[in-house]
Amino acid sequence: MENKRNKPSPARFWMWFNPIGRETGGWAFILNRVTALGLIFYLFLHLIVLGQLAKGPEGYDGFVALMHNPYVIVGELLVVAAGILHGLNGIRIILTTFGIGVTYQKTLFYTLMAVALITILIFGIRMFTA
Amino acid sequence: MSKPHAIIVGAGFTGTATAHDLALRGFDVTVIDRGDICNGTSGRTHGLLHCGGRYAVKDQESAIECIDENMLLRKIVPQAIEPNGGLFIALNESDLQYGEVFIEGCEACHIPIEEITPQKALQLEPNLNPGMLAAFLVPDGTFDPLRLALSFAATAKKNGAKFRIYTEAKSLILDGKGTVVGVDILDRASNKQSELRGDIVVNATGAWAGEIAEMAGADVPVKPTPGVMVAYEQRFVQRAINRLNKPGDGDIVVPQRRMVIVGTSSFEVSDLDYVPVFEDHVKLMLERGAELIPGIRNAKVRGKYMATRPLIGGGMGRSSARTFKCYDHKETDNVDGLVTITGGKATTLRAMAEKTADVVCEKLGVNTPCTTKDVQLISYRQYYSQPN
Amino acid sequence: MSQNWNITLKVSRQKEGETPHFDEYKMEVNPDEYVLDAVERVWAFMDRTLCYRHACHHSTCGACGMRVNDVEKLTCITYIRDMTHDGGTLKIEPLRNFPIISDLAVDMGTLYSRLESVGARSVLPAPEAEIENPPATWSADDGQYIRLADCIECGLCISACPSAATSDEYLGPAILAGAQANGLKRNPELLALVDCEHGVWRCHSAFECTAVCPSFVDPARRIMDLRTQIIKERFTRLFHKA
Repeated sequence: MENKRNKPSPARFWMWFNPIGRETGGWAFILNRVTALGLIFYLFLHLIVLGQLAKGPEGYDGFVALMHNPYVIVGELLVVAAGILHGLNGIRIILTTFGIGVTYQKTLFYTLMAVALITILIFGIRMFTA
Repeated sequence: MSKPHAIIVGAGFTGTATAHDLALRGFDVTVIDRGDICNGTSGRTHGLLHCGGRYAVKDQESAIECIDENMLLRKIVPQAIEPNGGLFIALNESDLQYGEVFIEGCEACHIPIEEITPQKALQLEPNLNPGMLAAFLVPDGTFDPLRLALSFAATAKKNGAKFRIYTEAKSLILDGKGTVVGVDILDRASNKQSELRGDIVVNATGAWAGEIAEMAGADVPVKPTPGVMVAYEQRFVQRAINRLNKPGDGDIVVPQRRMVIVGTSSFEVSDLDYVPVFEDHVKLMLERGAELIPGIRNAKVRGKYMATRPLIGGGMGRSSARTFKCYDHKETDNVDGLVTITGGKATTLRAMAEKTADVVCEKLGVNTPCTTKDVQLISYRQYYSQPN
Repeated sequence: MSQNWNITLKVSRQKEGETPHFDEYKMEVNPDEYVLDAVERVWAFMDRTLCYRHACHHSTCGACGMRVNDVEKLTCITYIRDMTHDGGTLKIEPLRNFPIISDLAVDMGTLYSRLESVGARSVLPAPEAEIENPPATWSADDGQYIRLADCIECGLCISACPSAATSDEYLGPAILAGAQANGLKRNPELLALVDCEHGVWRCHSAFECTAVCPSFVDPARRIMDLRTQIIKERFTRLFHKA
């Protein structure tokens, strides 16, 4: 008589990313997971790129030329954003784990996200005008 | 000799307590209910563990049943009870006068009461009406409706009883002699019909007892009488607060968790399966509740609902006795194999079960006496965590 | 007195062996009624095959938890006016992360057996029940009063928890909250049960449990407090080893 459809299961990991019906804490949770995945993806990309650099001066020059491509700058900005968002939210998680700020975790999230937004804007401006 | 099989229709207070009693006496028990435990009247009870004071003047049979069972339940099922006592308070001359017969009545029914000054009462319960004229401490309490029944159900299950919930009794199976030998059931979860055969069918459907008995051509004089309850979002008092006067509407306020619940009213209805909440009844609860606890006037409503009590006997509304009765339909309607238990109050569930089980045992020639007074009920959670 | 609304109830249905689907019921409601009242009327007047769980109708039994428009709610105290509008829809689904018995009724067996395993108390002294914002004039004798615990074992928190969705071994917010209320000082044997991968450390701070709890338990805060209790206990054991 048991219904498997509704039972907890590792296969339902996609449930983490479902924002429907969630509140602030849930969105923060999803944001942390998405940025984490993004950063891991970036790590692999980074290692591949470093692999190219190991091929010598031709590889390096080619790489530097690529760096001025606007799409790549946007990509880098996304990485910076992911790092800042994940890092600041991570600080919130550390604080709440030790019992600090649990009662006002929503306010903490909004504040840190405001800080993140400003920081990302600053980085963005610097990266595009450099 | 194999165990006799009792089928109990209804998994409210009476059904679960009877299952517990019969299981202890060596019966095979199957309890069926079209919903889950306590989905009928029992779930929506006020939650007052009566000391009997309310009935000590006009209905002393009920009052004595209440105080005896109150003391017993505190011992056997403390896991579902807030045992903080109660107060009867007088707010006007009429209440004060009633106080005299109240004292006599409680004495006659061995209900321990203690008169205290209004000042002392306000010390104990600062949110009471400061215009109190008299106050009596009584051994009331609060119980959690579902968990009280679950405790009996869990213990019954441990002793072999089976609970088939979402299983509706569609009709009673009669043999050639007009004796009830089983129940035609519909498993509502799987939509499958089947037959359940037993040595005795116990009709424990409370307000619906008449409908079930009718399936065998039997009659039960139960008068379904709904009343409103209103729950407010603040625990104003620790004790149950009763108006010191003859039983009326909205004269009891019961604390439970972080709420207080004001009840109740009394009227007749024909459709039992759904009774709407009437706004004028809710307003009445607010007015009368605020007389006892002024803060209720500004409290937020948390819930409003109707509960249909099974009253028996010929009287109307509040003049009906609140006692219970077990009907052996062989005697009342010449229909054997069927027994109905109805009437009563939540507080007397164990006593109702004892009476019913006694009748059942006598009918089936089983000589085992009742032991439920001495058995501690197991954790109510084990109802859900034990398989059938 | 509110004007009546015309709404549609979209109810999740599933009998044994069938595929789950939604059935629609149009009805007239008073917006000041509760969602449970509407569900009850579907059963009483429109479709007797509907299975749903309910008992007390005043948030003490915890039986009527369902998902209403994708949010976990205790339907007996959830006003219809807070969930939809005139002409709108109420989508009613069973709680997540529990096996479905039928339609809206789920099997809460694991919740109850796990609460047993951490010895969560159903009644406790009133001060320990941590009544917040008590009336200023309460008497000093409060310690003598016993009351039912805040947690009504409704399962909303487990339904809302993303970790509970992916792990059937994770104890879950309600259980960890019950363990916290018990306290590791009172019950040191609980340590092994909660200090493990399926205990407090499986919580990843989504705070959805506290967001949906209808009964003031604040499981998220309790889980974090339990972590502090665990850390203190581990340190104590470390330095008190003979």
